Amino acid sequence: MEAEVLKLLIKLLLIILVLVYFSIAFTMYYRKWRTKRLKIIENTFAKICSLYLYPIPNEEPNLIDIQRELKSIGIVPNKPRNVQYLIDLMIRTQRSILGENYIKLKKLFTQIPPYGASASKLNSKKWYTKARGVREIYEMDQSQYTRDLIKLRNNDNIYVRREAQIGIVIFLGWKSLRFLPYLKRQMTLWQQIKIVEKLNDLYPVPDLTHLRRAYNSDRPYANELIMRIIRKFNILEDIAYIIQFIDHPKFETREAAIYCISSFSLTEEQTRDIKEKFYNISNVEQQLLLLKYIQRVSMEIDLAFYKNLLYKGNDIIKLSTADILWNNGYKEVVQEYYYQQYTQNADSQSISV
Amino acid sequence: MRKALVIQEDIIILKILERLVILNQYECRAIRSINDLEIEDQSENFDIIISDILFEGIAPLDFVFQIQEIILHKSLIIVTNMGQYKIEKDILASENVSGFFAIPLDMEDIQKLIA
Repeated sequence: MEAEVLKLLIKLLLIILVLVYFSIAFTMYYRKWRTKRLKIIENTFAKICSLYLYPIPNEEPNLIDIQRELKSIGIVPNKPRNVQYLIDLMIRTQRSILGENYIKLKKLFTQIPPYGASASKLNSKKWYTKARGVREIYEMDQSQYTRDLIKLRNNDNIYVRREAQIGIVIFLGWKSLRFLPYLKRQMTLWQQIKIVEKLNDLYPVPDLTHLRRAYNSDRPYANELIMRIIRKFNILEDIAYIIQFIDHPKFETREAAIYCISSFSLTEEQTRDIKEKFYNISNVEQQLLLLKYIQRVSMEIDLAFYKNLLYKGNDIIKLSTADILWNNGYKEVVQEYYYQQYTQNADSQSISV
Repeated sequence: MRKALVIQEDIIILKILERLVILNQYECRAIRSINDLEIEDQSENFDIIISDILFEGIAPLDFVFQIQEIILHKSLIIVTNMGQYKIEKDILASENVSGFFAIPLDMEDIQKLIA
């Protein structure tokens, strides 16, 4: 009886083994065939682009022929993966070409299939399809869909709204900052940096009227973003905006303010403001950063300020202050402080004895 | 007729450069990598080589030196995705390199160089 069961088991396992082998063989063949197809698409697309940009003399590129050719290699609506591959190729090509050819290619891509494939993705229910659609729209510079992107700026999925916000910045430039006070959701650091970079790449001349309109916003991420913009574009007139956030109660906002201020040098009045705000900062690490910065930008040592820190500050702050004073020719002040400590200690000891 | 050699891994850039070169009255040989080079090619004297520098198994600078050693040519233009300033400086410092273009690029600039 047991032998029967064992035989059955062996048979079963053999069948499973054969099935596994078959599936491996099938995937191998399928992969091979698929790569071949994709290669054909890539080659054909390369040929179409090159002939469109630099046609054979006396032979105008014929759009109908191009469309027919694309159809024959499998760019049809019911094969979405081929279509996606073609879109990726288009984005890659458009990103690597500049100048007159860029405009020519942009025109070509609006005239060949897939028509509106990216825009139709915006209606998808899946967030990744939606985000991908948004990204394709701005990568391929299809500014006719700006309105649709604006609608997505408060989407509850972080990736969708991130891509939408980047798209708005790309299409509208500095004008897009007027949306800042109306954003309802958190904006991550990465997102802020990306926006600043895009502004710098595409619209290098700051438009102060639009920027200042966003100053009234009270949202922390908006403040951080504006500070980063001021830093990146080196807007000297508006340093005061950064200074007002140096002693902000929120840790991240303070962090951004200290980071942004450190790329500017200050006037005397501004330095005085910062020194006043210094005492309101509750975090020691941030105080240290600021202390180093103050020392770096001020011409002379403000003895009263440092002495105050030396006698009243936190231990770590005291140490840095002593370090600064010592290295700038005020050894006596530091010595005096430490001697006075010894005498205090001695006094207290004598009392206890 | 003048002769040109184009080496680019990216097929789209390769084809576009090939068309551009042909339209400027060159006889063009376009290949994806240096492995596709044939013995006869090495005895040719190319008027111009337009090449990438990013290939498997070889450092960018070594590749430039190797090309200059094994293929006879008059001038060499680099078109590459690897557009760091340091690389550009190093490569332009070597002899006989007449242009360095980082992608994204405007084909007009190359046209001016090869016309």
